[in-house]
Amino acid sequence: MRPAADTKDFRRDLVSMLPKLRRFAMTLTRNANDADDLVQEACERAIARSHLWSGEGRLESWIYAMTRNLWVDEVRKRKVRGGGGMVDIFEQDELNTEAAAEKAVYASQVQKMILSMPEGLASVFLLVNVEGYSYREAAEILGIPIGTVMSRLSTARLRLAAMLSENTERRA
Amino acid sequence: MLQTKGVALEVRLSAYIDGELGEAEKTELDALLASDEDARALLDKLKAGSAFGNGAFEDFLHDPVPLALVRQIKQGSGISPKSERVATANLPKRSAHIWPRIVAASTVLLLLGGVAGFILGSATNIAEPTRMANERSWLDEIAEYHHVYSRQREHLVEVPAAQGEKIETWLASSVGVTFRIPTLDGKGLTFEGARLLVVDGNPVAQLVYRDREGEIVAICFRKQAAAPPSGDFIETIRGDLGFVSWQRNGASFVIVGPSSNPALQDLAETAAAAI
Repeated sequence: MRPAADTKDFRRDLVSMLPKLRRFAMTLTRNANDADDLVQEACERAIARSHLWSGEGRLESWIYAMTRNLWVDEVRKRKVRGGGGMVDIFEQDELNTEAAAEKAVYASQVQKMILSMPEGLASVFLLVNVEGYSYREAAEILGIPIGTVMSRLSTARLRLAAMLSENTERRA
Repeated sequence: MLQTKGVALEVRLSAYIDGELGEAEKTELDALLASDEDARALLDKLKAGSAFGNGAFEDFLHDPVPLALVRQIKQGSGISPKSERVATANLPKRSAHIWPRIVAASTVLLLLGGVAGFILGSATNIAEPTRMANERSWLDEIAEYHHVYSRQREHLVEVPAAQGEKIETWLASSVGVTFRIPTLDGKGLTFEGARLLVVDGNPVAQLVYRDREGEIVAICFRKQAAAPPSGDFIETIRGDLGFVSWQRNGASFVIVGPSSNPALQDLAETAAAAI
């Protein structure tokens, strides 16, 4: 069992991590409602299991992986309930960009564009490009092969470049 | 190091940007980039996408986080974040479970109405509702000021931080509250200077700080002899702004900053001890 002071420190670390954790959750859920619920669930689980945190490495990685696992479980449940399911991004025939963008109602226009990217791209981009994780670390957090991290990352970068170009043209 | 031979060029160049390739592959791609204009254009495109995405993801950090979730983590169980969300002007429509919330809110309003009627009818003590109304007005005005001033780049403050002693003398005589400017460098806040505001016709002092991310955090205070002394720190969220207020020595204090800042309570406690 963790000492009380350690638990307090753990909670404090968790609070300071909330904006980043919420951002990561947004890349998974691609809408704010689900992201907030997911963050809440992840925090509850992290606190309940804080005695398992070794204190080595990045606490964020541990929580991110937990968040991702919870989201995969949630998607599975929805699949059972709704008869639909999560399709691998490279198996998708058509990108469901409009629906995803609509859900991101309180993100800015650019945020909406980011969240409208096909499933799996934004989270890889966030971990590697924005937060500086290595390919291997990102693959471990997301539970995918390194090769998938590589291909999703380059796809995300090209899509973002296209968005930038569209944005520039629209403003001109 | 990764082996990427045989995969698409954009994937290889993406790994090249991230320094994930071995020396041999890096040398190979260096040679390709030196001789192939299309490869260079593709690399530039990937880099442009990276830079654009970085900026966009930075903005996500400024979204407000659920206040109740912050409280729950800090204090432990007993609060259901699902029923207490951050109130923000930018909030989306929340379709799920809306009717139970409306029914619950209606019930609370009905009860509050009954209680308020009883209080007013018995005319024994209307100080509490009045104090709450004043508190609302005070925070609302502070929020409006904050929205205006925090966007000022060149004229953020009236008197700059370099004139610390002058600020203390000026504001103490204007507001009627003796204070010291709290040093919050250890909390990542740099003192920028001060302003004098007017709320409900009364002077309010504002000490302005900037955090490491460039966000503005301010401590506001006014003389309020009628304020009951209390060691409580009351946390409130109004849209994208968070407030932590407290009463001390005949004065009301409030610290205001982005509602996404989870450290406001900690800052308030530190400021209260130092001011």
